[in-house]
Amino acid sequence: MVRAAVKTPASGRDYGYGNARVRGMRSRLLAGPFLEELVEAPDVARIFQMLADTEYRSDVETEALKGRTPATMDEALAVNIVRTFRKIMGFLNAEAYDLVTTLLGRWDLFNIKSVIRGKHVHLSADEIEDGLYAVGSLGTVDLRLLAGLPDTRSIVDTLLTWGSPYGEPLRENLTKYESDGYLALLELALDRFYYAWAEERLAGRGVNTALARGVLGLQVDSINLLSTFRLLKSDIGDVDPSSFFLEGGAHIDRELFLQMAALSDVDEVLDALKSTPYTGRLEAVVVRFEQEGSIAVFERALEDYVLRKALDAGRGDPLGVGIVISYLWAKQNEVTNLRIIVKGNSVGMPADRMRRELILV
Amino acid sequence: MMEKRLSKALLFGGVFLTVLMVPAMAFAQQAAPVVAVAWQLGAVKALAAGLAMGLSALAAGYAQGKIGSAGAGTLAERPEAAIWVITLQALPEIIVLLGFVSAILING
Repeated sequence: MVRAAVKTPASGRDYGYGNARVRGMRSRLLAGPFLEELVEAPDVARIFQMLADTEYRSDVETEALKGRTPATMDEALAVNIVRTFRKIMGFLNAEAYDLVTTLLGRWDLFNIKSVIRGKHVHLSADEIEDGLYAVGSLGTVDLRLLAGLPDTRSIVDTLLTWGSPYGEPLRENLTKYESDGYLALLELALDRFYYAWAEERLAGRGVNTALARGVLGLQVDSINLLSTFRLLKSDIGDVDPSSFFLEGGAHIDRELFLQMAALSDVDEVLDALKSTPYTGRLEAVVVRFEQEGSIAVFERALEDYVLRKALDAGRGDPLGVGIVISYLWAKQNEVTNLRIIVKGNSVGMPADRMRRELILV
Repeated sequence: MMEKRLSKALLFGGVFLTVLMVPAMAFAQQAAPVVAVAWQLGAVKALAAGLAMGLSALAAGYAQGKIGSAGAGTLAERPEAAIWVITLQALPEIIVLLGFVSAILING
């Protein structure tokens, strides 16, 4: 299975120590008013200055030596999130370690997809590396090596050589990808593999496992919903829509997915979703979707929903894995918000637009 | 697994106490010779005092272990919370004190 970072997890299921540390870290997350000040910052240099007084100090100051640019800020944020997540993995107990490793596997998925996408559009190794986060089982060195490889075939061969389970689903679809140039084939194979693997690992009993399984199920639903919206906008010819369906969703089963895939517009899809909790979130952004015509609007709304549900996980058992899951999502959201602010600031995006893009919790 | 062990321990403890208490009560009811009653009663009192002290110390130790573990985690991230952690760490000592007082009252 996925290579885990070398570590001996703390014994058993004692969540006291780990959760207390995570709560301490949570207390240092940036507050809403501070983000508001960042939105109003006149330039990126000022953002550097403000973040130097926060938890990001060491990473921001190190990267500032290379220049106070949006790129170096991105780098500082990436280093910070990787360091934070790895620190957490270092003190979790055995049960939490297994559950969190499984959920963080999505970062391996994200990284491998990013490398393959980069190769697909002929980006340089440096450009690909900029978008990678060594949070999962693949470390910084592994990812740098993958990004430096010449083509997709060599990436797949390297993953197989390492014994990475992601190599096999890629290998099975590689020939077809090379002949058709259809990237979605590889991405779908990766998604299908990861979510089946994660579902299997989270199939056990126990409150904590059920909680992690719930979060995974919401992610699967999000992907299935986005696939549905993409199917509305594209002509897939004779391809069976069920080939885009991922098993393991919390609220969307195969039957509902196929029913939605057969529909012709967004309103009908939202109507079909009436029995699920997603309908409210998606209806709230449907006007914006109609204005902008981009599925990214739904993507962000679903991210928002999954984030809030993951944060809710932290409001239950104080001696359960929910505290950790909740923090991981909150931290990721904070870094995403900071990246939006930095990018927005550097391209002169109006503050109101920036505020609309942020997810404040 | 833990629940099974706990129920076994409780069952054993219950039987043990019953075996000790029944003769004492029986002696008391039968108005047996004063010396014999005093001896039995004294033994039971001593045992009860020991249990009150011992069990409360065990409970305090368990609580302090849990609080200490969480406290160490808190201090690793927020050293400024040291006063709170020390206060909370000392709190279960009250359980032992109560056990100690109970033991004295039982013997007194």
